[in-house]
Amino acid sequence: MAELTSKSHLKRLGVLLVAGLIGFLVIKSMAKPSSWNDEGWFREDVLGELERQPIVYGGNESCRTCHKDANKELRKRRHRGLSCESCHGALADHVKDDKKFADAKVDKSRWQCENCHMWRINRPKRYPQFTLEVEKHKWIKEGKVCLKCHGAHDPTP
Amino acid sequence: MEKAAANSRREFLEHLLSGAATATVLMVFGPEVSAKHTYGHSKTKHEYAYVIDVKNCIGCGNCVRACKRENAVPARVFRTWVERYVVTHEGVYIDSPDGALMGFEAVNAEFRADARRSHTVPKMCNHCGNPPCVQVCPVGATFRTPGGFVLVDPEHCIGCGYCVQACPYGARFINPDKKIADKCTWCYHRVKNGKLPACVIVCPYKARFFGDLKDPESTVTKFFDKDKWMVLRPEMNTEPYCFYLGLPREVK
Repeated sequence: MAELTSKSHLKRLGVLLVAGLIGFLVIKSMAKPSSWNDEGWFREDVLGELERQPIVYGGNESCRTCHKDANKELRKRRHRGLSCESCHGALADHVKDDKKFADAKVDKSRWQCENCHMWRINRPKRYPQFTLEVEKHKWIKEGKVCLKCHGAHDPTP
Repeated sequence: MEKAAANSRREFLEHLLSGAATATVLMVFGPEVSAKHTYGHSKTKHEYAYVIDVKNCIGCGNCVRACKRENAVPARVFRTWVERYVVTHEGVYIDSPDGALMGFEAVNAEFRADARRSHTVPKMCNHCGNPPCVQVCPVGATFRTPGGFVLVDPEHCIGCGYCVQACPYGARFINPDKKIADKCTWCYHRVKNGKLPACVIVCPYKARFFGDLKDPESTVTKFFDKDKWMVLRPEMNTEPYCFYLGLPREVK
């Protein structure tokens, strides 16, 4: 055993400190991701990972790539501002790898129309809404579909 | 003894004076500490923003359904949802049945007679410029990108839920399937691939807009320049990048 002097405790403390510091730096270098962004405090690789999440809704421009004729016709209709996919279903349910694999499903029920156009207290006054008290609607029976009289793409009253 | 006491009093007064002088100098010439507004002036290439026009929202829930489908959000949790406010003489009634996933039912006749006004207000992550959720994350899993997206690193998140509590807008939740924090990403994967967020494209009555404040032609820049917008909870100094048009005063 080394001879004890008045300074030997300081030496031991110094050795412990250096060992601790080395240990800390080794653990830090292993735990810190290689793409760590010190300024924004995040792992930069995650941006690419999140970017690769598959796109489900293609938008109307994706519908246009195949349905050119339908699109030209629909441009004059009242519902032209709507997203096709909000009634016809998402692109990912219809097309896969640029090929159709399933028919686009359309919900033709009354709920689809009423969800937007039934009178609601919260809706803006300028927005077209109806109630069953409208003169033309009085005779409508329960379960009758709106699309029997109205066109889905141009439901002018 | 008496002398020592006199000395300490003199010292005390000297310290007091020098301290007051330093504080005055710091307050006049020191660093800026008040809340700063950086909208439209960030040094990044893009500065994305979201605009919600409450006057145009019809409460159909298309956005909620599209968000669920696009991001595979599990049932009973929401990245975006719509609240309905009915203001009557007795008070304000607020409902959001299943986040307005299937729209809203009609209110009963009693309400209808008493209601003074009513609105539907879409809510989502505000992608704050000064986000409280990022400050509290103990593992650095949630962060704000230079473009303004507040995102969660799914590999690093430990699901402690601090950020869920810290968010003043209630926009975060723990994903019941993945057991990590989840929230609106402004459809980061769509925006980076040149598309608009799913909720924006399905909105039928122009209530939701998304764009880049650095692009002078974008819709959000035009709304932003008009200076008629509000943000939710401005007193929190979170600097939200979701701007509301026609926000009723009841909405927090």
